[in-house]
Amino acid sequence: MAGSREIEQTAAQWLARRDSGDWPAAAQAEFEAWLARATAHRVAFVRLQAAWRQAGRLQALAAGEGGVPARAAWDEVAPPRAPFTSADAGADVGEDRDRAAPPRADALTFQPRREPARASRWPFAAAAAVAVLAVGLGWGWLHYGATERASYRTALGATDEVALADGSRATLSSDSRIEVALSGARRRVELAQGEAFFDVAKDPGRPFAVEAGARRVVAVGTHFSVRRDGADLRVVVTEGTVRLESEPVGGHPQPTTLLPAGSIALAGPNGVLVRSVAVEEAERYVDWRHGFLVFRDTPLAQAAAEFNRYSARKLVIADTAAGELRVGGNFRWSNAEMFVGLLEQAMPVRAERLPDRIVLHSR
Amino acid sequence: MDTDLDAWFAADILVHEAALVQYLRRVWPHPDEIHDLRQEVYVRVYEAAGKARPHQPKPFLFATARHLMTDRLRRGRVVSIEPVGDFESLNVLIDECSPERRLGARQNLRRLAEAFDRLPQRCREAVWLRRVEELPQKQVAQRMGITEKTVEKQIAKGMRLLAEHYFGGEAQADGAGAQGRARREAAHPSATDEGTHGQDGHGRKQGD
Repeated sequence: MAGSREIEQTAAQWLARRDSGDWPAAAQAEFEAWLARATAHRVAFVRLQAAWRQAGRLQALAAGEGGVPARAAWDEVAPPRAPFTSADAGADVGEDRDRAAPPRADALTFQPRREPARASRWPFAAAAAVAVLAVGLGWGWLHYGATERASYRTALGATDEVALADGSRATLSSDSRIEVALSGARRRVELAQGEAFFDVAKDPGRPFAVEAGARRVVAVGTHFSVRRDGADLRVVVTEGTVRLESEPVGGHPQPTTLLPAGSIALAGPNGVLVRSVAVEEAERYVDWRHGFLVFRDTPLAQAAAEFNRYSARKLVIADTAAGELRVGGNFRWSNAEMFVGLLEQAMPVRAERLPDRIVLHSR
Repeated sequence: MDTDLDAWFAADILVHEAALVQYLRRVWPHPDEIHDLRQEVYVRVYEAAGKARPHQPKPFLFATARHLMTDRLRRGRVVSIEPVGDFESLNVLIDECSPERRLGARQNLRRLAEAFDRLPQRCREAVWLRRVEELPQKQVAQRMGITEKTVEKQIAKGMRLLAEHYFGGEAQADGAGAQGRARREAAHPSATDEGTHGQDGHGRKQGD
């Protein structure tokens, strides 16, 4: 039997050919025979066809005879978090916008970042005209200078991936906030709170700097996460290299640290400690992006602290013996309750469930 | 054509592709076999569902994946089994317990736009003109200054990549993204080239 990639290619050829309009009866017959020959053929075809049908929805984004839109020109489509969102809006901002917004996706699609939010329902034609104009202006603006600013935040228990105008992506962990300032000359992100993972678009002429307190993490094009924990900073690099810089202390310049992929750097008041691990190992520190906390022989106290980043109902360790127990596995950070249930089943732990917290005792 | 089963498959199984692939990657030590595994899982699910539709598609999908891996291990196709050892236990805690978040219309649109944006330039242009502006293939060819055959090849490539990005969930709301993508590219650095090679024989194979 043919390999799965080969089958997928053949399925795509059939689908494209059928779609081309040149589809005689003989082709249909041949195609049906191919489909019937193996379930693998059929599932491959069904899968491509389903995605292709979905792609038709992109028509909602077409602004008339605009031609092929620029890449990422529509990063305001259903934004996971609107720029300049206020803190109290919490986790449901996206949905609030949905409710407040006109029902037509096309009237929203090209709503540019810098335009004040429109509350009223615009007639479609006017909106489209404004949108086309605004996109043109927006791109001019991006390319020729002025600094673009945006602020993103997540509520406790929510994560979010946001597309930045330079093509980079930032994934915010629970209860986190970043301030983004992009200009033609530089890209600056302030991590005000929490943790964020950055997938940086390559642009050697415009270094990408994440500032957190007295330190700066500078990358050209790479993947890394930065996390603030009180005065401490943790940097995890999963691809490429970043440079960790610190502000001078008492007039003395601080050494700069180069962090290659697989580095886990802890920067505290007393300096920077770097651990080098396999990239796979480093990646587990940023698995929260996929909804998981991954523990390997991790003290329970530390595991509980990780969970607590995502939930208002805290896990509290009652005694040292409980805190020193070692746990391992993949857990959904959204489900601390299940984690506690497993602890009770598998470990010498007794959980005391209080309305605002869960206290873990050793037994 | 059993379109009812097909529709079910798309709506209840394919939506979990990102989670499935993530799971396979996590527990299966050979990244280059993931594509193949995924297909075999789909085949098994599709065939089983042809007889009786599973009540809980997602757990069924993951159970199928687990059985398949077990079978493969037994058949000794895996040289190093060590990293696989604990996939049973991992799975208990992974995906089955969480209901899949259905995408809202706008999220879905965003994800499609992101999937579309990741297409290579020519491919992206061809897809836009054909699928979105719905120009006839001939006109697309004229606009792009390429032959109709080439348009069709670009479309076929676009179909594969869109499905990969859209279902594969790189752009999905929980951000399965960059990491998996990087790995995939590492495993198949020639994914794009391969697409072109695969299509070389296209005209001959399907010429009537």
